[in-house]
Amino acid sequence: MRVYSFVKPKKKPLLKEDTKLWLIFITISFILYISFGLFLEIKSYLFKKETKELYNQTLTLKHKIIELNKQKEFIYTQKALYEDIMIKNQLVKQQIQNLLDLIPDPITLEKFYIDHNKLIIYGITPTKDVYNLLMLPPLESIFEQTITYFYELPNGWYKFKSENFIKSEDENQTE
Amino acid sequence: MKIKLNKPNIKIPKITIYGIDVIKNLGFFALYIIITLLAITLIIAPSIKKFKQTQKKYFEAKYEFNMVNNQYNKTLNELKMLKKENAKILNAFRRDFNINNFKNFASQFMEITSIEKNGTKPFKKDFLTTIYFVKSKINSPKDFYDFIDALKNYKYIVKVYFPINFQKEGKKILLTLKLEHYRLKNPKALKAEEKAH
Repeated sequence: MRVYSFVKPKKKPLLKEDTKLWLIFITISFILYISFGLFLEIKSYLFKKETKELYNQTLTLKHKIIELNKQKEFIYTQKALYEDIMIKNQLVKQQIQNLLDLIPDPITLEKFYIDHNKLIIYGITPTKDVYNLLMLPPLESIFEQTITYFYELPNGWYKFKSENFIKSEDENQTE
Repeated sequence: MKIKLNKPNIKIPKITIYGIDVIKNLGFFALYIIITLLAITLIIAPSIKKFKQTQKKYFEAKYEFNMVNNQYNKTLNELKMLKKENAKILNAFRRDFNINNFKNFASQFMEITSIEKNGTKPFKKDFLTTIYFVKSKINSPKDFYDFIDALKNYKYIVKVYFPINFQKEGKKILLTLKLEHYRLKNPKALKAEEKAH
């Protein structure tokens, strides 16, 4: 027996409306979760990359700082050497000044030779006593060994050669 | 003998409110919660953890970089200041000795009769020193003192050193002295190195 219906047949959807809505909602949520995770991964990667770059830059700067410090040290070395040379020049000047101040009035200086550890003085003295009293004591106080040679002149005065030695370690050349 | 198992007759009750299937929606809601929790546990939480770690490392690296950069700038400024303050000395060490220039300079204090070069030798690691023996005539020891004082402002680094010989000759004094000129071993290489910064 055939059954007839008064209602027209409707197409039955595979999924109901609310099911569709749920599936779309869940899919979108899932995509959003993955996107967020991906976004964080990308950010992490970028941070990692920048960290590496910063680390390399820091390392380069550290090397540069070492170089700059070396340059600074070298400038200090040059400055110290310059100052040392200027001080030594002043010491030479002072030593010559002191030597000339040492010569008493009655004694005439003809020549002197000064080296690191010796001083040789040539001069004329009216008497040996004048030399021995006025010039010898200061020389003896400075030098460890003093040898004096006298040569009598026709007028009765004496030419003398005074050799003075000091045993100090040669402080030569700022070396 | 065949045992006949009866199928359990479980039937999910269909509860509808205003035509909405409550049980089905609750099921989907539970599914959504599960998916969310799984996503948080497996995807988002590890990513956040990794992100936080890398971010922390980045800020640490940035902080260190800033510190080192500040230190670099400070050192660079100090070096510039040092170069500026000691420009005269640094330039003097770079110059090669010129005998004619020295004669001109010394002529203010003495009459030079001869200058004899006596070799160059290395001094310390970075310097060279050249020895000159100078014979000259001066009017009085004061000329010699003034000469030494003037060396402070001279364009070369010159050291007056022993042996020094003073000999009276008429109204003048014959002066023999040793000069040492100091300069850098390789000023060009140093200049290039400085320009690199």
